Amino acid sequence: MIKIKNLHVEVEGTKILKGIDLDVNAGETHAIMGPNGSGKSTLAQVLAGHEDYEVTQGSVDYLGNDLLDMDVDERACEGVFLAFQYPVELPGVNNTYFLKSALNAHRKYRGESEIDAMDFMELISDKIKLLNLKESLLKRPVNEGFSGGEKKRNEIFQMAVLEPKLALLDETDSGLDIDALRVVSNGVNAMRNEENATIVVTHYQRLLNYIIPDFVHVLVDGKIIRSGNKDLAIELEEKGYDKIIEGIKT
Amino acid sequence: MKAIAALTESFESTLEIEKDGIKDLRVKAFEEFNKTGIPTRKQEYWKFSDPSVILNIELNHNDSIIDIDENYDLILCNGKIVKNQIKSKTGTVSEGILNGLVEKDIFESKNNPFLDLNNAFAINGCYIDLEKNSESTIRILNLVNNEGGEQAVYPKIIINAGKNSNTKIFEEFRVSGKGTNFINSVMNVSMDRGANLEHVILDDYADDTYHIANIYAKQKKDSNFISHNFSIGKKFARRDYNIELKETGANCDLNGLYFAANREHIDHHTTIEHIKNNCTSNEHYKGILGGKAIAVFNGRIHVHPDAQKTDAIQNNQNLLLTDDATIHTKPELEIYADDVKCTHGATIGQLDDKAMFYLRARGLDIDSARRLLMRAYVGEIIEKISDNEIRNQMMDIMIDKLPKGDE
Repeated sequence: MIKIKNLHVEVEGTKILKGIDLDVNAGETHAIMGPNGSGKSTLAQVLAGHEDYEVTQGSVDYLGNDLLDMDVDERACEGVFLAFQYPVELPGVNNTYFLKSALNAHRKYRGESEIDAMDFMELISDKIKLLNLKESLLKRPVNEGFSGGEKKRNEIFQMAVLEPKLALLDETDSGLDIDALRVVSNGVNAMRNEENATIVVTHYQRLLNYIIPDFVHVLVDGKIIRSGNKDLAIELEEKGYDKIIEGIKT
Repeated sequence: MKAIAALTESFESTLEIEKDGIKDLRVKAFEEFNKTGIPTRKQEYWKFSDPSVILNIELNHNDSIIDIDENYDLILCNGKIVKNQIKSKTGTVSEGILNGLVEKDIFESKNNPFLDLNNAFAINGCYIDLEKNSESTIRILNLVNNEGGEQAVYPKIIINAGKNSNTKIFEEFRVSGKGTNFINSVMNVSMDRGANLEHVILDDYADDTYHIANIYAKQKKDSNFISHNFSIGKKFARRDYNIELKETGANCDLNGLYFAANREHIDHHTTIEHIKNNCTSNEHYKGILGGKAIAVFNGRIHVHPDAQKTDAIQNNQNLLLTDDATIHTKPELEIYADDVKCTHGATIGQLDDKAMFYLRARGLDIDSARRLLMRAYVGEIIEKISDNEIRNQMMDIMIDKLPKGDE
């Protein structure tokens, strides 16, 4: 689904990613783990198309197309979804109106007509149950006055409505209590199938108890220093990042 | 100075058709106007808006009418009433300035040359007398029609809101035909005790329009004046509100939304006189500016010595879509009482980059994302309109008129 080759990224002259190679196939879930400042959030943002990051080397092939050549909204409509670490509050933008606009933008991109109002209400009432979100949040401005957990659940709710091919979950577990973590994970798991793929970016292993990854990659100082299966996450949790980094060096 | 010559000639010709016995007052008003003439930027209140641009227009007075019948209760064409369907239980509408009004301070000079000029040409006018305790919604079309060429029109509406009357007015200014217009409009509102008046005004002109508008409101005890002012830029637009809270318990809300793009110029000066105690005022103006547009907001709050327990709030927010757009925003607080609450704030900003990225990451293209954010921005003002139908109509109109950044 996505092939990242030798990806180098800078922000205002500072090198953040220093040669990332990563292949993710349909049906797979990959976890990117790493200490703070290792560049894991940058990777998620770059794939989503954030314009503050400058790609200086490398390539990203997404379903046979050059991902780096696409605008942010084009990537979204092609099925790339970033669940934000810090979802943005949009005062005055009604949550339902926002979701409908987003869904219709996807439909328009695919050459489909706008969704019927009734069908839309049915769709969102199905999906909102999945995330155990209060219906009243639909009437509120996007993320405004939401608790930390509600914001994260709202991200996954949007994902459920937009049904992306490639989901990038950026620190989705941060700020979630254990119950919310379970709800969010169940939501993500319910969407996993053979046609789509998920990249989970996280600092802690605990999310991976719920969203079980096929592969785990350890990102340190802009490079993937080790890859393995889900056991690698457990090893990381036990030993800590320092030990793993030392082990590589020696 | 062809403008002033045409103006004087125009004025003299109107004296021949005198009909309301207010000739002397008009002559006096014209003399007052001539003392200052059209102001220049040297005057503090015209610092950022140069009205001398008007001097390039031949100020030929035109009050000719055309046949028009649209779905409004009251239609004025070049200041003259051409349709009146206001129900008699609501109140009465009279053409021209009635003698009875003369005693009120309609003709008082207030150091405002454009008020004097409008008074000098007060041969038509429209007087709306709202019955006490009446409830009504009135739609007014204030049409300026130009058969071609350069012209000046002086629309004047006088409203007397009777005791405990409850009125919603939706007034639309529109220009038809072609040519250059100088519109010098005045609205005088007197509100009796307990009267409620919600006034929604929309200006949407042809490009070649110069408009100087003055709205005066005097409020008695416990009266409530709610204004929603929607202006869409044009060559030169200036609207002043002058509110006098003359008796205790009076409240005014001044809400405004202005758009300007290209090289348009838009200016709002508001003055709220807190004269007596326990009055409240709440002012919220928002603007969106693109291109090389220039906007001015000057909000004056004057709290008189007797106006203890005043509660005044003022807020002006501006969204600049381009680097070349300019806003001059200035709060002016003059407070002579000690037990008062006055707050003011002014902000100037751009569309939030984080919000733009978030929306685009959900699939909205740049244009749709901008419009969604602007819609939210203007919604805050439009939602203050209490009438559902008018609110929805204004939402549609203003969304349609949102300026594009690069124009």
